Amino acid sequence: MQKHRTRVVCTALVAVALAALGLAGTAQAKLTGNYTRFSQCPYANLEVIKCLYSVTESGEVVLGNKKVPIEKAVTLQGGYGSVGEDEFSKFFAASNGITLAKVPQNVPGGLLGIVPEASSPALVKALIKFFLENSLTGVNATLELAKTASDIRVSENNLAAEEGAALELPVKVHLENPFLGKNCFVGSSSSPLLWKLTTGTTKPPAPNSPITGSVGAAKFLEEGRILETKGAKFVDNAWSAPGPSGCGGILSFLVTPIISAQLGTTTAGHNTAILVNTLSVGSAAAVRKNNSENP
Amino acid sequence: MRSKQTAIGAALAALAVLCALFAASASAAPAWKFETKSLEGTEVILGGAYESALTVPGLTTKCENFLYKLTIENSAGTGKGSLTEMPLYNCTTNSSACTVSKISAEKLPYASHLATFGTTNYIVIEGVKVPILYAGEECVLGGTLVTVTGSAGGSIDNTAETATFNSSTLAASKTELKAIGQKIEWSGLFPTEAFQWHREQALSVS
Repeated sequence: MQKHRTRVVCTALVAVALAALGLAGTAQAKLTGNYTRFSQCPYANLEVIKCLYSVTESGEVVLGNKKVPIEKAVTLQGGYGSVGEDEFSKFFAASNGITLAKVPQNVPGGLLGIVPEASSPALVKALIKFFLENSLTGVNATLELAKTASDIRVSENNLAAEEGAALELPVKVHLENPFLGKNCFVGSSSSPLLWKLTTGTTKPPAPNSPITGSVGAAKFLEEGRILETKGAKFVDNAWSAPGPSGCGGILSFLVTPIISAQLGTTTAGHNTAILVNTLSVGSAAAVRKNNSENP
Repeated sequence: MRSKQTAIGAALAALAVLCALFAASASAAPAWKFETKSLEGTEVILGGAYESALTVPGLTTKCENFLYKLTIENSAGTGKGSLTEMPLYNCTTNSSACTVSKISAEKLPYASHLATFGTTNYIVIEGVKVPILYAGEECVLGGTLVTVTGSAGGSIDNTAETATFNSSTLAASKTELKAIGQKIEWSGLFPTEAFQWHREQALSVS
């Protein structure tokens, strides 16, 4: 009797294990070929019409007096829905939650570039000296989404026409260094840097002058199911930025004003974002089909 | 003494040849002609493309019926024209995913003129604007408006009475058509036949 019960339990466990494996197999269906880039597109959501995968490979962000070149690739991925009356589509977050990858970029000049020792109060000066002596002088600037992914807006008609905003991105810049603490930001969820990136020509207020982006070299893959453009240049130099906040930890009241002074004027006309990307857009239906064909 | 006279003679002859050459290129503006006589007044050329295709790398769009109506005239010795109608029907793509939901020429009429590049005469159509709306659930351009803009130059063949547009004629005539930020290829072979006052008369450009 005992033996029989054990056998039944074992059989049931094996069945559960096999079922679990089967389910796992379905959940881990793999995209193949050109579709693999859309693995984090929320294509299972039927509201998603297109999948987007964009890798910013170069460019620069100018914030007031400071210029940060983009030297490490930053990925933006997710999906977007049908075109609304305002010509924009709603964005859907990447399946893994990493819609905009947080990739630290080196700030030229490091700590002394944004907190000059000479003009700082004695306490700040002493701290800077400590960090300099311990070679903790590197400062990173990391671009982060300031709002949820659904606040990103895409206009593929503007992208194709090379006029108007193609991608609206609410972002904030995280300045990172042990001296600056963990909460040194330019921009926030309530006051983001709203980049209205265009592949056309900008109309910035002075002193900036118009700059021009481009779609880059486009080609269709998978018989028109995927569009890939290399060297797509998204630009905006008409955005404004609030002053920095939360820099220097408990010395924020001393350090933040110094950084603010170093950045200088960050109102519209003093900032620039130039993002050079390899951009891929795919039909979500085609991605779903590829997924279903490769269980 | 005789040798000096010969040298001056040769120089004058060379100068005369050069002048003739310059005169030939200066009078290069080509005009519309019927039965070798310069067109006076206006004439209407009406027809349909024998074949026409528009290609962005990876996606070709073809229209079975590509009609056009071109009013031509000579102005100050140079052939001009005005493309007043260009209906496009039965357009398809080479993709199993994409169909053409809507296509039409906008901002007509398109101005045109004749020009000579090298030894070939071209008709140059300017201000082209053709929005194309693609459809198809699996088509990446589904629901996206792709607008073809720019100018296009086609070589005139007096013998065949046709105008040929392709990447070579666009490059030779220093024209280009763009869509999605790309220089696109357009190939087309169009008959040049009069349909008003000069029916069945040989049309040539020179």
